[in-house]
Amino acid sequence: MEPAIHLAPGASANGLATMLAGLVRQNIDDNTMKRKAFFGIRGRVAIRAVDIDVALTLVFGDGRLTVHDGVVGVPDVVVLAESEEITYLSLVEIEPRTGLPDPRGENTRHVLKATRSGSIDVRGAASHALLMLRLTQVMSVN
Amino acid sequence: MSYSFPSEPWTAAFKDAINQNPEYRKHGAPWTFGSVAMVVEANPSLGLEQTAAIILDVHQGSCQKATFVEGMEAVDVADPAFVIVADYARWKLVVQGALDPIKGMMEGKLKLTKGHLPTMIRFVHSSRALVTSAKDVPTEYLD
Repeated sequence: MEPAIHLAPGASANGLATMLAGLVRQNIDDNTMKRKAFFGIRGRVAIRAVDIDVALTLVFGDGRLTVHDGVVGVPDVVVLAESEEITYLSLVEIEPRTGLPDPRGENTRHVLKATRSGSIDVRGAASHALLMLRLTQVMSVN
Repeated sequence: MSYSFPSEPWTAAFKDAINQNPEYRKHGAPWTFGSVAMVVEANPSLGLEQTAAIILDVHQGSCQKATFVEGMEAVDVADPAFVIVADYARWKLVVQGALDPIKGMMEGKLKLTKGHLPTMIRFVHSSRALVTSAKDVPTEYLD
């Protein structure tokens, strides 16, 4: 089965939505582990870049991802952060053997620190840990 | 002396600014992924009759060559690995240092129309240092 990634109507004008759709597409094309993770994701994640007031919703399920402009439906997880911090979420180092974020990685440590300080505000992560892990795997370029 | 943006003399001055930027030398050191084109869309009302592009042949933290071309055909012939497109007003903000290029891409103001996005993201600090070197070029704008 081929993964399907689509921009919902109206999302093509949203730069962050186009970037994340393209990023996930190229990551799963390049990396088998990320591709496998993509097929295991089910859920809805809203991301808002608070400094530029750009928001999007990622809807995953059955090997499909649809990226919407704005917050659509009731997200399982909401991520609120400045655009710079959202970039760091894409830079988290993934340990290839375990598929887990590598706490020794400079960017992983930055994200953990920002999450603790509230610079990256993730709501719903505790009850959707697997969704967050797989999202990190498919979003990260490392 | 200041240089008109975009133009051949501006491009030459930009190359020098990149090579004098210690941030770019540091963050761009691992870059071996090919050239980057900054494409400025045509704007006849400003006298920019054709799309123009600055093509930067960057490698391991230095700019080895910078070329100014006019027309998208010339960009296609040069075949850069990465192509970033925006209108004149957006590039002006980038050159002035008022618009962060990565933030501009997230806002849809700058578009990566060619190139491997994960590589661009992996080298986010390098990409930013490269483009923001432009603020050190004394620049005259068309408007």
